[in-house]
Amino acid sequence: MLTVSALCKKLPDGRPILNNIEFTVRRGEFVGVLGASGAGKSLTLRCILGLTRVDCGRAVLATPDEDFDLTSARGRRLREARRRIGVIFQGFNLVKRLRVLDNVMIGRLGGISPWRSWLYGFTDAEAAEALEALRRVKMDHCAERITGTLSGGEMQRVAIARAIFQRPAMFMADEPIASLDPSNSIAIMKLLAPLARETPVLGVFHQPEMTARFCTRVIAIRQGRIVYDGDPNLSQRQLQDIYGEELDQVLRPAAVPIPSLPELAPAAIEAASAA
Amino acid sequence: MPRISRVMTPPHLASRRPSGLRRLVRPALIAGALAVLVAWSADQCKVSLAELAQGAVRGVEVLGFFFPPDWSAMSELLGPALITVLLAAVATPLGVALSLLFGLAAARNLAPAWLRTPARMLIGLERALPEIIILLLLVAALGVGPFPGVIALAIGSIGMLGKLLADAIEEIDARVLESVETVGATRWQVIRHAVIPEVLPSFLANAIFRFEVNIRASVLLGAVGAGGIGFELSKAMSLLEYERAMMAVLVTLALVFGAERISDALRRRVLDGGKLQ
Amino acid sequence: MSTAAVATSASSLPYTPPSRLFRRRMGIFAALALFLAVAGAALKFEPWLLITDFHYLVRLAGEMLPPRIELLWTKPSLYSSVAETIAMAVLGTLAGASIAFGLALFAAGNTTPHPFVRTFVRFGFGAERATPNFVVLLVLLIAVGFGPFAGVLALTIGSIGMFGKLFADAIEQVDPAPIEAINTVGATRWQVIRYAILPQVLPSVVANGFYAFDVNLRAAIALGVYGGGGLGFELQLAMKVLRYQDVLALILLIVVLVTLMERVSDFLRRRILGSTAAL
Repeated sequence: MLTVSALCKKLPDGRPILNNIEFTVRRGEFVGVLGASGAGKSLTLRCILGLTRVDCGRAVLATPDEDFDLTSARGRRLREARRRIGVIFQGFNLVKRLRVLDNVMIGRLGGISPWRSWLYGFTDAEAAEALEALRRVKMDHCAERITGTLSGGEMQRVAIARAIFQRPAMFMADEPIASLDPSNSIAIMKLLAPLARETPVLGVFHQPEMTARFCTRVIAIRQGRIVYDGDPNLSQRQLQDIYGEELDQVLRPAAVPIPSLPELAPAAIEAASAA
Repeated sequence: MPRISRVMTPPHLASRRPSGLRRLVRPALIAGALAVLVAWSADQCKVSLAELAQGAVRGVEVLGFFFPPDWSAMSELLGPALITVLLAAVATPLGVALSLLFGLAAARNLAPAWLRTPARMLIGLERALPEIIILLLLVAALGVGPFPGVIALAIGSIGMLGKLLADAIEEIDARVLESVETVGATRWQVIRHAVIPEVLPSFLANAIFRFEVNIRASVLLGAVGAGGIGFELSKAMSLLEYERAMMAVLVTLALVFGAERISDALRRRVLDGGKLQ
Repeated sequence: MSTAAVATSASSLPYTPPSRLFRRRMGIFAALALFLAVAGAALKFEPWLLITDFHYLVRLAGEMLPPRIELLWTKPSLYSSVAETIAMAVLGTLAGASIAFGLALFAAGNTTPHPFVRTFVRFGFGAERATPNFVVLLVLLIAVGFGPFAGVLALTIGSIGMFGKLFADAIEQVDPAPIEAINTVGATRWQVIRYAILPQVLPSVVANGFYAFDVNLRAAIALGVYGGGGLGFELQLAMKVLRYQDVLALILLIVVLVTLMERVSDFLRRRILGSTAAL
């Protein structure tokens, strides 16, 4: 369970970009965070993870063993806390030259001593478990492949396998489907939703139709503040409030999705332009 | 003449080109500066065409002494040739290990500032010094022989390999490193599992190239006392045994050619195939 | 938890298990270590000397400190040495590059009069590159005497070897379209070179030229040690007479010089390459 209270962050000149962010994520929830570009949704996630420093407030992760104050944890404590959070990113951010299996096994580095990492590496037992994680995302047949040769959708599934392998107390996703075409996006959401039933998922999204369909709850951020927290099905007016002028772009994605990676299956382009 | 070049100019450049006399200004300035530079340099180095002519005659005469090469000396020279190769072969892995440490320490996205600045400075320092000077210093302290030779070659590798490695590490996508951090990994784990796999192919290729360079350097250093075929060469020349020296040159040529071929082939394999570690 | 999949032989797994990879890696390291040990023994390379004889290094360091920086103002001939070294590098690079470019035209498949000429010239380049610098210098020392002139000639010849291959490759990689286009207008061979080939290879020629200058500067110092004049010569002189404080001062001067020249050449390269579009 994650509790975020009174989180705030200021720009160097004093203006606030995050203001009094408060919410809780509980077991069984799949929370989607929506908001216009620059509203502060990804920033909130980064603050929770300790990738960016906050100016006030706390984010506390409660696990069966102990509680972690993510915002004030440093060094070893922070690593312990991060070990319990499985994160996936928009750019997948996998080590392209490694095998798929190696990328998955990276997930447990938080629990392995650096000495073991350097001298020996992973054990066969860990490799077998990593294969299981790959099986859950249906990528086990690619275990030996070099990650850089995979498509975007496949890489994101590997990233999810890595997060699963971590056996975390919680999942977080930073715009996980923004770089994927529609069919891959749905495949990824279909993977995340059942995961949420056992382990809570907090995801930042740019697609309200996806969160409406798959999430159990939606939080909306506008200009650094939370303006909505509740049912994932948002009315047109509510969406207008959240997105303002961007609403058109958000509701009707471009005929060709603009990827941040050069992965574009021709079939997906056809499908998207026919839509 | 100018008409042809105007025809040939690609359209996107045509609008940028100043017209008429003005476009002669810049090249003229450069040519002028070059001419002054050449004249000054020639004066400094006491370049004299007359000397050159005389020297050419003398040079050809001298070259005559080198031929025919003393083929009988070949069997004697194979041992020293092996020593030269071994010097490079032992020094390169040492240099690689040192460069790995320096390269990691000098990368902006890995090392803290207090480590990065001295590391970069040391790398820069080493790059500025020709290996021969390092060897001379080591010889002055430790005496002649293969030991200072190996050390000098190893240290000499730090400049090139260290800089290339540090630059390659800085090119790594920061988000990948961040992503490994978020699973709770320590910095050294990030290095082991994300940094090293990404830079390994290019680092290996550079290391192989450095081995080739080190063979050449080993010959040069040998002349100053590190042993091997360089030493044989300089010994032969000081004893005025020019045919023997020529044989040594031929052996060196074969050595360097061979090293070049092997290095080219290995590097191609490493950069295409990619060693998985 | 884990099924019997772990106990099964590796061939039934869709991946190479870590233990196998680990053994492979250890094998490579062991082979390398063995090789180093054997080679080291053959060379009589005694790494433990680094520890036992370390005090010699310390003693040398002690003798070199403090560096005799007074040389900068007490020894005016130092400046001419610096000038000599720079001049050697400049001349060697320029002369070498010019000659190399001319020869490269014979060594490039698309401009050579005959494929045999190409092979011959390329072999010449390779042979020069493989010949140790100091051999060329030694011959020149006999031919024209000690001093920077021999150094310049040695650097020139060395640059021909270095540049020749680079230029020839660059010429070969030129886009053939402009060449054809110019030929159809009825141009002479020289015009083809001037207007179709030169603009395309010029950026890489200039860039390589500056890089070669950096290399030649270092080589000029190294050759000086063998008798070619300049700072290298001063350095080995100081070492011969055991004036180690002078040695350190000279080393510092060399480092400053080389680093400075690198910056200057970087700057000039960027300025000049920015304007070659106008040619």
